[in-house]
Amino acid sequence: MVNRAKIKELMNESACSHNKDKKKGEGCDMPKPGTATGGCAFDGAQISLFPYADAVHLVHGPQTCLGASWETRETRSSYKGCDHTVMGFTTGITTNDVIFGADKRLADSIDYIMQHYNPEAIFVYSTCVTAMVGDDIDMTCKLGSKKHAIPVVPVHAPGFVGGKNLGSRIAGEAVLEHLIGTKEPEFTTPYDINLIGDYNVTGDMWQYLPLFEKIGIRVLSSMSGDGRIGDIRGAHRAKLNVIVCAKSLITLCRKMQENYDIPWISVSFYGKRDTTFAIMEIVNALGDEKLIQKAKEIIAQEEAILEEKLLPYKMLFAGKKAVLNTGGNKAWSIASGLQDLGIEVVATSIRKSTEDDIAKAREYLGKNGILMKAPASEQSKVIDERGADILLAGGRSLYTAIKKKISFIDVNQEKKVSYGGYKGLLNLAEDLKYAFRNPVFANVSKKAPWEAE
Amino acid sequence: MESEKKIQLSKHEHKPLQVNPIKHSQPMGAALAFMGIKNCLPLMHASQGCASYTKVFYTRHFNEPIAMYNTSVSDITAVLDGGDYSILMSIENIGKKNTSLKPELIGLHTTGLTETKGDDVRSIGMHIEIPYCYVNTPDFEGGMESGWALTAKALIEQHSIKTAELKPNKLLLLPHVSMQPVEVQKIKECCEGFGFETLAMPDLSTSLDGYLSEGQGKLGTGAISIEDIRDLGSSATVITIGTSMKIAAKALLAKNEKIIHLHFNHLMGLEMNDNFVASLIKIRQIQPRPLLKRWRGRLQDAMLDSHFLIGSSSFVITGEPDMCVGMCELLQSVGGTIHAVIATTYSKVLEEIQAENIFVGDLEDAEVHFKSADLVISNFHAERLLHIQEKHTALILRGFPNYEELGNQLKNDQLYEGSTYFLFEVANKLRGIKHHE
Repeated sequence: MVNRAKIKELMNESACSHNKDKKKGEGCDMPKPGTATGGCAFDGAQISLFPYADAVHLVHGPQTCLGASWETRETRSSYKGCDHTVMGFTTGITTNDVIFGADKRLADSIDYIMQHYNPEAIFVYSTCVTAMVGDDIDMTCKLGSKKHAIPVVPVHAPGFVGGKNLGSRIAGEAVLEHLIGTKEPEFTTPYDINLIGDYNVTGDMWQYLPLFEKIGIRVLSSMSGDGRIGDIRGAHRAKLNVIVCAKSLITLCRKMQENYDIPWISVSFYGKRDTTFAIMEIVNALGDEKLIQKAKEIIAQEEAILEEKLLPYKMLFAGKKAVLNTGGNKAWSIASGLQDLGIEVVATSIRKSTEDDIAKAREYLGKNGILMKAPASEQSKVIDERGADILLAGGRSLYTAIKKKISFIDVNQEKKVSYGGYKGLLNLAEDLKYAFRNPVFANVSKKAPWEAE
Repeated sequence: MESEKKIQLSKHEHKPLQVNPIKHSQPMGAALAFMGIKNCLPLMHASQGCASYTKVFYTRHFNEPIAMYNTSVSDITAVLDGGDYSILMSIENIGKKNTSLKPELIGLHTTGLTETKGDDVRSIGMHIEIPYCYVNTPDFEGGMESGWALTAKALIEQHSIKTAELKPNKLLLLPHVSMQPVEVQKIKECCEGFGFETLAMPDLSTSLDGYLSEGQGKLGTGAISIEDIRDLGSSATVITIGTSMKIAAKALLAKNEKIIHLHFNHLMGLEMNDNFVASLIKIRQIQPRPLLKRWRGRLQDAMLDSHFLIGSSSFVITGEPDMCVGMCELLQSVGGTIHAVIATTYSKVLEEIQAENIFVGDLEDAEVHFKSADLVISNFHAERLLHIQEKHTALILRGFPNYEELGNQLKNDQLYEGSTYFLFEVANKLRGIKHHE
């Protein structure tokens, strides 16, 4: 069942930079009626676990929770069996279940899944309604687990306990409690790492994993992009946890350090400099001199190849200025990518950023860069003042670009290609090339014949 | 997956879970309905996730900014608050954050969460100065179609004034949820062509219709206002399109018993449109406009042109009941074989469909039948399922959601005109796969 003490603990995570400037006990913000816009805890939990393609993800709740959310994320998997990440499973409870409880329905659903799909594990997500009516999900999962001899993992992140970030932390707890340490890996090496928080959206991981292989870094398990249940069960034998662009799973890493003595580092793979930095951080943390040398070699090779390929783009982008309006770590990670391509980032948004993110944004943009606190109202002025050529923002800012007759890229739209790693930078460059040369924004902004000049 | 086994049409589920669901929730239908009212602030009484999912769902389907707010019920307010706090605070907070926002209606609807906790959303209206409409739409009952219909009913019940007066040429259309914005517009135009002063409710024809303007996605921009809704009782005629909408017409007749109610299960194909046009002629005693007559002839021609391909083909259709029934009848009118209809929820109208298999289910159930079909009509989720099967099966995307294709709001399958285009689309898709064989 939902554990308030645990939720409080997760919200007050000491290692989280969100909480640095807060008083003791304040923790993460609770959603404010009327103005909360992001996803709920269930959403966050689902995002964090869903990429396990060899597990079935069963949503125990009414229709909205899964009905509107399945097959919406571009998380890629190389799993050869039945890929459950592109499928949706829900108990879709009805009025009767609300009145009499839905434990039997849940148990029957677990049986049905085992009979028809035979997955490596089942994650059972509780939701607001099933949490509130008090279904004994823990017991049903336990019995299911026993009956079918696979992990049936209850995930207690009903939407109303908080936002996406909290849900993601709860998912981490569930994995820690029910999966990690329940199986030994077939073999281990001194270069084993766990990747935490990369969900392989549009195949982001596949941009940098080949480099790992060349260098000799072995990914023991992933939480959870292109992950396997069998691997995460043996994650406790890794030498290092690597968090990729995700604050929410810090608790998991901190606890793994306490329980299994695994140190952790936090990195990003956006842009050339960050990718290089990330790889060096990993090999330095693993501390093997040979590995470090090998990494340096590979990086030098890859950077040289990349630079050559980037050359035509850099000539194309010379003198171009960009304004960036997006949240969280994207505020600096995309900026870094743009700079790698020779584009000057004149402003970025820090509306939703943590102190760490703001410091990083300042570092990347330099002292003349504008950090916008209220980008919606500021960006128009900034575009005029700095003479920006392109706006990278969410769909709602499209109108600003049309008015200013400059190019536009919707950075919040579900991408189809990855911008991660060295190769992803080329994808970003391609998208920018097409955006810059597209006359649509100026064409659309033309006045109608019946409008006065 | 499994071999075909006969599933009966029933209100009861045939398995304990849904795998690859096609059913969408009641609150999602209600939210969409409120977006079809002018300057309405759709407020979902829910945890923030319900609204966030719904917003993303519609944003991706329509490619438009979506006006939607929520009361962000937390685990604590779920227990301690009767709804007053979160609803009133939401309205206050939204107003504070957006001082230029001038909603003319608060469209509040519940969800599974807030129905389980049992909030009295009706009485909260007494503390709200802006006109307020509440709808009970738990997502453990009904579906998108009923959520939309319940909202239309609630708007009439709570806001239309009882009257004995009638405006002889005033007409109200009550379209079912699966109709896209342009379809509502086309039907309105058709009625206006007969000299009717025509209103539709909900009216998405000026909301989510893919129109470039500034400051979108803050309030509903439907073509019907709360003022219009107050005066609906003076409509001489109310036309329901889709069985789900009958409850709304019934609510209107309670406001003025003299109103004439005409019902059509759908407006697809020659026969149903002939009935529809005949009714309009009868009331107004005037001839249709030349273009409407022309379109009838074009539909006749399209039926003949397409009958060979469609007449030798087998179809599987999934979706909301009111949408499925129209497609079945149109395809059958040119000799198509309906192999299976898999509906999102139970509706009486499903009993009227003549098909080899008809039942309420999900895409796991539908997939079993895909191999018997030449063409599948379903939402975007079917795309991947057909992609992995060996047999070439054509696909037409209809219904919610369609995340991949653009211009969904401008697809018209209604009236003589839309039916014509629909038949050609079907026939051309069939040509593609039959050519392959």
